[in-house]
This record gives sequence, C-alpha cells and structure tokens, in this order.
Amino acid sequence: MKGHTVKQLIFDGIMGAYLLLVSWFMLFSSSPEAFLNLNQNTQLFVLFFLVSAGLAYFINKKGYKTAGELIFEPAHKKAQQLEAVSKLKTIWFWELGLFLFFTFFVAFEVTHFSFTELLDKDGFDGAIRLFNGLSHPNMDLLPKAVVNIVITIFMAFLSTALAIPIAFVLSFMSAKNIMNSPAAFAVYMLLRTAFNIMRSIEALIWAIIFSVWVGIGPFAGMLALMIHSVASLAKQYSEIIETVSDGPIEGILSTGASRLQMIWYAIVPQVVLPFISFTIYRWDINIRMATIIGLVGGGGIGTMLIQYQGQAMWNEVGTIILVIAFVVWFMDTASAYLREALK
Amino acid sequence: MTENILEIKNLVKTYPNGTRALKDISFKVKRGEFLVIIGLSGSGKSTLLRCINRLHDPTSGEIIFNGSNIATVEGKLVRQVRKKIAMIFQHFNLIPRHTVMSNVLMGRLGNMGTWASIWGRFSSDDQKMAMKYLELVGIKEKAKMRADNLSGGQQQRVAIARALTQTPEVLLADEPVASLDPATSHTVMDYLKKVNNELGITVIANLHFLSLVREYATRVIALKGGEIVFEGNPSEIDDAWFERIYGAGAREVQIH
Repeated sequence: MKGHTVKQLIFDGIMGAYLLLVSWFMLFSSSPEAFLNLNQNTQLFVLFFLVSAGLAYFINKKGYKTAGELIFEPAHKKAQQLEAVSKLKTIWFWELGLFLFFTFFVAFEVTHFSFTELLDKDGFDGAIRLFNGLSHPNMDLLPKAVVNIVITIFMAFLSTALAIPIAFVLSFMSAKNIMNSPAAFAVYMLLRTAFNIMRSIEALIWAIIFSVWVGIGPFAGMLALMIHSVASLAKQYSEIIETVSDGPIEGILSTGASRLQMIWYAIVPQVVLPFISFTIYRWDINIRMATIIGLVGGGGIGTMLIQYQGQAMWNEVGTIILVIAFVVWFMDTASAYLREALK
Repeated sequence: MTENILEIKNLVKTYPNGTRALKDISFKVKRGEFLVIIGLSGSGKSTLLRCINRLHDPTSGEIIFNGSNIATVEGKLVRQVRKKIAMIFQHFNLIPRHTVMSNVLMGRLGNMGTWASIWGRFSSDDQKMAMKYLELVGIKEKAKMRADNLSGGQQQRVAIARALTQTPEVLLADEPVASLDPATSHTVMDYLKKVNNELGITVIANLHFLSLVREYATRVIALKGGEIVFEGNPSEIDDAWFERIYGAGAREVQIH
C-alpha cells in the first residue's frame, strides 16, 4: 500500500471511530460507569476504527473522496481531477461537517455549558462582591506586593540568563544543517527528543518537582523556569540556524576554515539578532510564567497571591493583581519596542 | 614544479538523489592559464568547480593537484586543499554584517588557530596583507564599510581580495559576473585577469557570455549534460560549435 493510503486510512479510521463511538454513547449508554469502562471502550474504538477504515478504503476505491483522501492525496493526483463537484454531494464534506457538529455537541456537554448558571442570582451577587473587593485594593499591602514582584522579575531574569549559554551551545548541536554526518545526526535526534520531553512537561510541573527538591521558594521557581527556557530557546535558536543562507557558509568553508570557525564567522552573524529578539520575548514570557509558578510554591508574587486568595481577602488580591497587571503590561510593551528596534 | 597544476581524471559526481552531474570528466590545467568553462545551466559547471576544491565530494575519479590526488583526502587535508584552491561565487558569499576589512581577513582563517580566530585576533602581517589586496582590487578606501553597503561589483572585488589573502595557487570563479551589469562585469573580469597576469594565479572560471570568454580566456572547455563536448581555443568556437554546445536554435547574447 502506498504511504498516502496508509495515512488516509488512519485518518478516516480515527474520524469514523470517533463519530461511531460518540453515537454509541448517545444511543445506548451515557451512564458514568459506561465512560469509565476503559477496556470495553478501547475494544469498541478498535472495532469502529477497523470498520471505518475498511469503509473508507471501499469508498475511495469506488471513486468518491473521503476527508483523509482529500488531505493526504498527492499533488499530482489532485491536479488530474478537473470537473468540479458540488460540495454537498461529496463524502468528505459530510464527514467533516458531522465531525464539527459532534465535537461541539460533546464539548458543550462535558463543560456543563449552562446559561442558567451564568445568570444565577446568588452566583452573580458573589461575583459582584469579588469585583467590589478587587476594585478597592488595599494599598497598605502595596510595599509587600512590590517586593514580591521584584523577586518575580529577578527570578525570570536569572532563569533566562542562565538558560541562554546552555541553549546557545545546544542549539548548534540540534540544528539539522550542521549535524549532517550520521554520528552527528544521532546527537541531533537525541537532543531534539530531550527538548521535546522537557517542553512537554509544563513549567508548572517542574516547579512542583523542584519545590520538593530544593524547598518551596523562588529558587525552585527559578530552576523550573530555567529548565523550560533551555528547551524552548534551544528549539527556537536551532530553527533559526536551520534557515540561515548557505552562501556565507560556502564562502567561509572555501577559505579552508574549520567547522568551528565556519559556525562563528558564517552562521553566528546571521542568527544573532533573531536570537536576541527571541530571548527578550522569552524573558517576557518568563515574567508571566513566574507569577503562575508562584501559585504552586515557586515564590514571588504568585505565592503571595495564592495566600490571600485562599483567605478570600479580595481587597488584598486586588492590590496584587494591579501590580502584576502593571508589570506584565510594561514588560510586554517594552519587549515589543525592543524587538521592533532589533529588526 | 610540474607544468600541469591540476589534472582531472575520470571524474564522476552522482548526487544522493541519483542525478549524474558529472560523467567521466578528464582534462588538464596548465599552471598560469585562464581556463573558462562554458555550458548551459545544469551542465555540471558549478559541480565541477566544487569538486575541485572539495566543497563537494566526488563519487569517483582522481583530482591531481601539484602531483598528489586530492579527490579522496579528508579532514585537515581538505582544508589544506581549500587554502591553496580559493573560490569566488556568483552571489559573492561575503558576511553582510561584517566590514570589508573583516571579510578580507577571513581569507586567513585557514592559517589561524581556532581560539585566535574566535577572538578576531588577526596578526598585523595578516592586516597588512589584507590591505595590500584591497588596494590591488581598487577598494582600499571602503575597508571600514559594512560589506552589504557595497554594490555588487565592489562586493565581488572584496571576494577576490578575500580569496587572495589565502595566498592560493588556483582561483576558482563560479559565474563571477552572472549577477552583475555588463559594465561592472568587465571591471570584475579585468581584476581576475590582473590576478592571473600579475600574481601568476591559475584561474578557472565558469562563464555564460561567449563575448567575455573570447576576451579573457586562454583556453575553453564546454560541458553538456556532465560531459566535455569541446576543448580548445576561444577563437575556435564558431556558430556550428555554439549550436552543438547550447542546442539548436540558441542565439548568442552580446555583452560589451
């Protein structure tokens, strides 16, 4: 079977299995126990998947197009079909339409979407009380909030600064155009995988890990942000390296320069401005993340926020939110101006 | 000192995607000559030059440079080869953000230790040499300007100066004037001729315009589909040969 047929069958199989499984729950059983029966549901999914894939194969064989075929069919085959068919008469249109309809249906269902809750009198009063507190911030707390946001800003700074040299070195080792020998490619794959794993673990989780490791506080938060920054920056840096133009590389190599000299003279000048731009953006992100990380024991303004929120002291929470909002707005604007100037 | 500085024997280059760019090429290059390679785009001219200075690895065959085969050398020896066989390119391949002087000094990288070059510590001899060659190509006064602020013709002259600081024996020129206007083309070609005459550096250039070939070349090789179809004096290329090299119906474009 051709590569695109396999992809197409997997796509249509998953689509079909999803549609059939949702229909199954709607028609036969929507009790909580039925949802929790993972074993039976997996079997159903596999069964539905096979049925759908088989059906899709048959449909495509007959000359009608499924959504999977529409997406994965090679360009040269696409170019051959000239006559236009009304969308309403195609299989793929109904397949995608049904998918959207089912997805919205399930989404509203599982999020308990309800206008009555939103407009409920008691709940509404609670919200008004909260907003009333927030809009009358307790200014006595301001000095303490400022001290804590300063801690957060420095947490973000140090985590970014420590991540830069590590990410810089690793980014060259994880750029495809530099790591082109077989041995180097193994290192490339290893690093790319490591970065993906490091990034897929949220900074929030890293903060929990480090708050156990080094104790609750800014140090744990800084380490968490640093790990996350290394992975993100290295990935962004290496993607920039992969887009450099080959001309200067050839030019420098043709002088008899070594690989390291080539990187330093041909690649670094091309990437240094985008690197700085991405780094400033990362610092900006880290300030916002440092706040969130504080919520789980990363120290700084976030930790302060969660303490007052837990005691429902809304006036104090109002002060903290005001300080956070101001700093985030300021950093956001400043970093935008800086990055614009560096273009 | 042998009379032939380069001898190419049965050179074959097949790219990983299966394209056979060079099919069994053999020719000799005399010391001090101005050899021009002509042919359509895709005939293998650029591949040939890049095999000679080992920017590309030949699939098989020999490249005898000063009596030793360099087609299969590796590592440090490849860099030795590149130092002695310099190259200039159609798109100049300078480092745009660096100054003209810095770009010319980069020709010395092959003779420097890694650490010294990373800190940019070029010796005063290197600096003098760079200045000398900038003067030779007539742009000494632009030394402190950023390379990307120069015109195309000036950038190509900086590239020639960079190549000269390598103190090469051979200078490869891959379509050196293809992205320049006719007047500038002549200036750049004149400097290549000067390098050839005054410094005795052997020049191998890929060119498109036959009028330039007739003016500057001492010998011509024509490639077609990765094979040599003509080898001889520029004056021998008449209309019949022109059609054979470029295909029936092709018309010569004059550049003055």
